[in-house]
Amino acid sequence: MNDAGTLALAALGLPLCAFVLLAVVAPLRRAGKAAGALGIAAIGGALVAALVLWRSGQGVELAWSWLPAEGGPMATVGILVDPVAAVMLVLVALVSFLVQLYSLGYLEHETGPALGRYYAYHSLFAVSMIGLVLAGNFLQMFIFWELVGLCSYLLIGFWYDKPEAARAAVKAFWTTKVGDLGFIIGIVLLWGRAGTFTFSELFKMAGDGTLAPDGLGLVMFLIYLGAVGKSAQFPLHVWLPDAMEGPTPVSALIHAATMVAAGVYLVTRAYPLFLLTPDVLALIGWVGAFTALLAAVLGLVQADIKRVLAYSTVSQLGYMMAALGAGALGAGFFHLLTHGLFKALLFLGAGAVIHAVGTNDVWRMGRLGGAMPQTAIVFLVGTLALAGIWPLAGFFSKDAVLAGVWEGGLTVPFLMLALTVFLTAFYMFRVVFLVFFGAGRAEGHPHDPPVSMSLPLWTLAGLTVGVGGYFALRGGGQEGHGPGWIPWVSSALAVAGIVCAWVTYQKQAVSAETLARIFAPLYTAAQRKFWLDDFYGAVYRGGFLALSRLVGWVDRYLVDGLVNWASAWTLRVGDRLRRIQTGRAQDYLYGVAFGLLLVIVWSYWP
Amino acid sequence: MGLQPYLLLAACLFAIGLFGVLTRRNAIGILLGIELMLNAVNVNLVAFARYAADPAGLIFALFTISITVAEVALGLAIVILIFRVRRTVEADRLDLLKG
Amino acid sequence: MSLEAAGFWGLALVLLASSLAVVLSKNLFHSVLYLALALVATAGVFLLLHAEFLAAVQILLYAGGVITIVVFAIVVTERLVGERLNQTNRGVAAGGLVSLAVLIAIGLFVMRAPLPHAAPPVAGDLTEAIGRNLLTRYVLPFELLAVVFLAALLGALFFARKEE
Repeated sequence: MNDAGTLALAALGLPLCAFVLLAVVAPLRRAGKAAGALGIAAIGGALVAALVLWRSGQGVELAWSWLPAEGGPMATVGILVDPVAAVMLVLVALVSFLVQLYSLGYLEHETGPALGRYYAYHSLFAVSMIGLVLAGNFLQMFIFWELVGLCSYLLIGFWYDKPEAARAAVKAFWTTKVGDLGFIIGIVLLWGRAGTFTFSELFKMAGDGTLAPDGLGLVMFLIYLGAVGKSAQFPLHVWLPDAMEGPTPVSALIHAATMVAAGVYLVTRAYPLFLLTPDVLALIGWVGAFTALLAAVLGLVQADIKRVLAYSTVSQLGYMMAALGAGALGAGFFHLLTHGLFKALLFLGAGAVIHAVGTNDVWRMGRLGGAMPQTAIVFLVGTLALAGIWPLAGFFSKDAVLAGVWEGGLTVPFLMLALTVFLTAFYMFRVVFLVFFGAGRAEGHPHDPPVSMSLPLWTLAGLTVGVGGYFALRGGGQEGHGPGWIPWVSSALAVAGIVCAWVTYQKQAVSAETLARIFAPLYTAAQRKFWLDDFYGAVYRGGFLALSRLVGWVDRYLVDGLVNWASAWTLRVGDRLRRIQTGRAQDYLYGVAFGLLLVIVWSYWP
Repeated sequence: MGLQPYLLLAACLFAIGLFGVLTRRNAIGILLGIELMLNAVNVNLVAFARYAADPAGLIFALFTISITVAEVALGLAIVILIFRVRRTVEADRLDLLKG
Repeated sequence: MSLEAAGFWGLALVLLASSLAVVLSKNLFHSVLYLALALVATAGVFLLLHAEFLAAVQILLYAGGVITIVVFAIVVTERLVGERLNQTNRGVAAGGLVSLAVLIAIGLFVMRAPLPHAAPPVAGDLTEAIGRNLLTRYVLPFELLAVVFLAALLGALFFARKEE
C-alpha cells in the first residue's frame, strides 16, 4: 500500500472510528459537547489527509476481492483516487468540518444526548460521503449512496417529534428511492453486459469499444435515474425543499454542498460510459436546464428563506447537469465545487439569521444588516457569487457552464439557463433586500453569531472570494472557450435581476402584488409548486389505496376463504368420521378382524 | 397324523371365539370368547412344539396360560367395577368413548 | 385309522361342539360350564401331543382357576343386579360372516403351507425339558411373570375394592 492509499483510507477511517465510538460508547454520546469535539477532530483529521492527498496529486487504485464466485471474484471492494475524486474529497471534508464546527454553536440549546446523536449521524454521513467519493466500483458506490440517503433521512428527521420533519424525512427517503431503484437495476444490467462493476475496467472497455453500444442507452438512463433522485432533478425534485425541515447546518452540508451533488458526481464519474450514449447525455442536458428554470421560478414565490435556498440549489444542480449533458464535463464539475462552497456559505448565513430571529419567514425579518453586519457581509458575498458577479467564484463556473452548453449546441437549454441567471439574481436579492435592508420588522435583539459559527462563515466567504480572485488573476475560467460575449450577457442579466429586485423590494417602486397580478397564472402555478406535489400525493395515495384494497380483497376472500374452507371441510369430514367411533369395543374388533384378513390376503397374493 | 389337522382345529376354535367376542352382549360372555381364542393359540403352540421337537413352544404355551389367568382375574375385576359404576354389563351400553 | 387319529377326531368333535355352545348358549352359567368342557378337551389334545405337563396345567389353572373366578364373578354380578344375567347375541350375521372369512383365510393359508405329515419321535421326558428350560434359558421371563402376577393381583384388588 502506498502513500496515497494510506491517506485515502485515513480520510475514510477517521470518521468511521468516530461514528463507531459514538454509536457504541453511550456515555460519550450522551456527553454532547465531547461527542461533538470527537466528531470535529475526526473530520478535521480527514480534512488534513484529503488536503495532503490533493496537493500530492497522486492517483491510486486499490482493490480487494469480494463476493467470491467461480472464475474469480464477482466484485471487488476498493478505492479509486483520481484528480476528480481528490478535489471532491477535499470539498466534502472541508464542508463537513466547517458545518460540524458551526453546529456546535447552532445547536447549543440541544440536550446532550440529542447533540451526541447529531454528531454520530454526522460522522456516519462523513464516512458514507467520503466512501461514495472514493468508491472504485459501482456496487460499492451504490452501498455508500444508500448510506448517505439513510443519513439524509436521519438528519432531516433529527427533530422527529415535529410531524412535518418526520414526514419530510420519509418523503425524501421515498422519492430518492424511486431513482435508486433505477440506479441498481442499471448497475446490474451493466454488470450483465460487461461482467464487472469496476470503473477502471469499464472505462477501458468503453475506450476500446468492447462494450456494445446498442441497448446501452437504457442502462445508462437507469443509472442516470439514480442521479435524478439524489440530485433533485425534475421530476423527482420535490423532496429537497421539504428536506429543509432538518437543522440548517444539515441543509448546508447534505442538501446543498455534498449529498445532492452526488448525482452530479455520479455522472462525472461514469462520464466515459455516458459518452457512448449521446441520446442520454442530451436528455441530461435538457432535463438539467428545465430543472434550473423551473426551480428558479418556484424560488421566486417562497417566503421561507431556507426554501428559497433549496430551490436555488435545485436550480444550480440543474446547471451542473446541463453542463454535463452538453459535454462540458469540467465546467459542470467546476460549478459543483464552487457551488458547494458558496451554497454552504449561504445556508450557514441563513442559519445565523434564523438562529438570531427565531423564524424562517422572510416577511418577518428586515433591516438586519445593521444588527448583524458580519452575517450580512458574508451572506452578500454568497449571494453575489450565486448570482454570478465578477470576480467571485460563481461568475467563472457559471460562465463556464453557459459556454459549455452553447458549445454543446443545446441552444434552447442555453436560453433557459440564461433566463435562469436573471431569475437567480432576482430571487436571491429579493431575499437580501427583505432580510437585511428592508423595512425593519424583526423581533427581539438579533446579533451576530458566536465565533464557532462565524469562523466557518468567514472561511467559506474567504474561499469564495479567493477562488474567484485566483481565476480573475489567472484570467478566465477553466473552459472559457465559448464566445466572448457570454460573460457580458450573463453579467448583464444578473445585474438586471439585481436592479429589478432593488426596484421592487427596496424602493418599492413596483409593488410585488402588481407583479404577481401580471404573471397571475404563473404565480398561482408556482404557489402550488406546479401541482407536482399534489399529483405525486394523489398517485401515492391512490396507488396505496388500490394496493391495499387489492391486498385486502386477497386476504379476505382468498387467504381467509382458503382457511375457512379448510376448517369447514375438516369439521364436516370429522362429523362424518366420528360415527365410526361408536365407543363399543366390539365394533373396533371388526376393524381388527378386517385388518387380519387384509394381512392374510396380502401375504398370499401371488 | 400330520400337523395340518391340529392347525385347522385351532383355526376353527379361533373363529368360534372371535364370533363370540363379536356378538355377545354381556361383558362376561365376551371374556369367555377371548378365552376360546387364546386357547386356540395354545393348541397351535403345543402342536408346533411337538412337530418341531422344540420345548420352547411348550414354554410359550405355559406363559400364555399363566398370563391368560391373570388377564381373566383383572378383566373380571374391571367388569365388576364397571357394573358398580354403570349398573350394567351390557357391552352395547358401554360406549363412553363414543365420538 | 390309528388310535391317535381316532382320539383326535373324537376330541375335536367335543371341542368344537362345546365351543359353539359357549358362544351360543342363552344362559351365561351354561356357557361357563361348556367352556370348562372345552378346556378339558383341549387338555386331551395336549395329551395327544405328548404334552402331559401342559395338560395338567390346563386343567388345574383353567378348568380349576379360571372357571372358579368366572363363576364367582357371575354370582357376584347377579347378586348385585338382583336378576339372572341373560346372554343374547347381536349382529349374528355380521359376526358370523367375519368369523367365517377369517376361518377360510387362515384355513387356506394352512392348506397351502408345506407342513410335516408325521411327528418326529418323542425325545425323552418333555416335562423335564420344560423344567430345565424354564429355570435356565427362560428364567428371566419366568421371574417377570411373577411380577405380572403381582401387578394383576394388586390391580384386581384395587378395582374390586369397595369405594370409601
